[in-house]
Amino acid sequence: MATDTTPTSATATKPPVQKVTPATWLRENLFSNWWNSLLTVLFVPLIAWALWSIGRFLFVTGRWEIIIVNLTNLMVGDFPREQFWRLWVAMAILAAVGGLLVGVTAAAAREAAVITGRELDTSWRETARRLGPPVSFLVVMMLFVRTATPLLLLVGVIAIGVAGFVLGRRVPHDRRALVNLAVVAGVAGSLVVISGFGGVSRDSWGGLLITAYFTIGSLLLAFPIGVLVALGRRSTLPVVRWTTTVYVEFFRGSPLIALLFVGWLVLPFMFPPEWENITRISRALIIFTLFTSAYVAEIVRGGLQSIPRGQWEAAKSLGLSPWKQTRLIILPQALRNVIPALVGQGISLYKDTTLVLIIGLNDLLRVAQNITQQPQFLGQGLIAETLVFVSFIYWILSYWMSRESQRLEARLGVGTR
Amino acid sequence: MTESTLTSQALEAGGTGEVMITLEGVEKWFDDFQALRGIDLVVGRQETVVICGPSGSGKSTLIRCVNRLEEHDRGRIVVDGTELSDDVRDIQEIRRETGMVFQSFNLFPHLTIMENITLAPRHVRHKPKKDAEETAMKLLERVKIPEQAHKYPGQLSGGQQQRAAIARTLAMEPKVILFDEPTSALDPEMIKEVLDTMEELAESGMTMMCVTHEMGFARAVADRVVFMSDGGIVEVNDPESLFTDPQEERTQLFLSQIL
Repeated sequence: MATDTTPTSATATKPPVQKVTPATWLRENLFSNWWNSLLTVLFVPLIAWALWSIGRFLFVTGRWEIIIVNLTNLMVGDFPREQFWRLWVAMAILAAVGGLLVGVTAAAAREAAVITGRELDTSWRETARRLGPPVSFLVVMMLFVRTATPLLLLVGVIAIGVAGFVLGRRVPHDRRALVNLAVVAGVAGSLVVISGFGGVSRDSWGGLLITAYFTIGSLLLAFPIGVLVALGRRSTLPVVRWTTTVYVEFFRGSPLIALLFVGWLVLPFMFPPEWENITRISRALIIFTLFTSAYVAEIVRGGLQSIPRGQWEAAKSLGLSPWKQTRLIILPQALRNVIPALVGQGISLYKDTTLVLIIGLNDLLRVAQNITQQPQFLGQGLIAETLVFVSFIYWILSYWMSRESQRLEARLGVGTR
Repeated sequence: MTESTLTSQALEAGGTGEVMITLEGVEKWFDDFQALRGIDLVVGRQETVVICGPSGSGKSTLIRCVNRLEEHDRGRIVVDGTELSDDVRDIQEIRRETGMVFQSFNLFPHLTIMENITLAPRHVRHKPKKDAEETAMKLLERVKIPEQAHKYPGQLSGGQQQRAAIARTLAMEPKVILFDEPTSALDPEMIKEVLDTMEELAESGMTMMCVTHEMGFARAVADRVVFMSDGGIVEVNDPESLFTDPQEERTQLFLSQIL
């Protein structure tokens, strides 16, 4: 019989399964000694009361009319309503390249998993955990939408994103580097769609749109600058080393809010007079980029230092040029080591964009404050509702970035050491 | 020593009778510490030279000067007719023709074994990917680990990693290979597989400079053994004579301690 051939020793070596009944769980976790029992007795009502109050605010007493009326303001500020098609086209482009990037990453992760014999978590639980934050974000936004058009357009954008993902998984191995180019082209293209060809001047942007613009734009620009500055700080040429050190120390040593203010006043004088219309948004973007790149440089420098000298020596002894030693051997390893810190910097930047209120830009937080001054909502103490709403946006997207960075880290760490 | 006596030394010792590496009066300081003192040595084409000596005697520094991982402060180093100078082109030329195998393997952990081996042929020699991969597969068969081609270095044992590192070096078709204590970081049972690979290389006519503590290997494979102490060459001889009848007191002392 089949059961007879099963070696008994194999079953015997499995760890013993302990049965946890609700009663034992309670005793072990909440009432293990008199002190923990006391804390449980004190805190359970406290937490219950807090949850009750929050729930009551969210679902009963909260007056969300202000968000429903102003959702468009919160998303885009004063962006001309008749030009919205440009935003939707830009979103479709970004969804396509974003989906492509995720698809390629997923395919690469699957291959690495096959090589190393590690199992990828493809369960629905894992998928649900990954999609949780972005889906919650979209669902909450949709709760405040009262017309069908944005819903339909959003479904279209999501469909394009999914199509990009499916396509990305099918990109052949040796073409994957091209996807990075596609992403950069997509971001640039979406900007052109919004502002080019008689489009919308950046000065009328606002809300979540400029928050996203500052975050994504500064990160994309600051990353290459930061890498170059980090390499410069390790240069053998004293001039390069000193210049980059001064750069880093200056921007790291100055408060961002002061830099924004100074940049707003000074930057117009640093460009040719015919550029005098350099927008406040562009000035802020430049400041965010310079500031962030100094931090990125220090993070990357730490990563470069974590690479053992033997890696340089092996690369040198193979006859690789200095640039190829750095690009092919050192940087890929160094950047992988600093992903958590880089994402941390990204999250920090995302929240720091709220400081643009000092130079009078209508970012998400400022719009949230301004709309409480509208005649129909004035003096009703609605700041709680608007702040809870924007806090949710800041939190859920930060949380999403943080979780995804942990996954990326685990995946890129595959097969090393 | 003059160049002619140096050369005749190499010619007598073995190889094809042509000169591959010439070191003349090479000196090197680390701050105030003199690591190399007046090194004169000629290595013939297809010759295997083993360098031994107590730790701190400058063995590794010596071979690291040959491909400019360390910069010598005085003297001349000529590899296959190219003199090592401050000119980056000369350095790159010598590095292309000179392979190096390290104590700690130094494989690139973010690349598979195949990518490790094909990297330099593709990016330095500009070989097409397909050719480079075919060559890599042949080399992996030569070092007897073809089944590891698509794994990452971290998944291989120490001995397999070192053989992969040798294959990576061979992929550049070097004229000389420098071995810097290639078996010192290995568990005892893995030392033999690496030494066998090195012996096979020496027999195939590769010019080799090996820093090693494996005296059995030196005896069996080396054409000449160089004994170094305190940054200078104390004695150079064929392995049989050096091990059985050392002329210098310091050599005798060293051998009595390790044999």
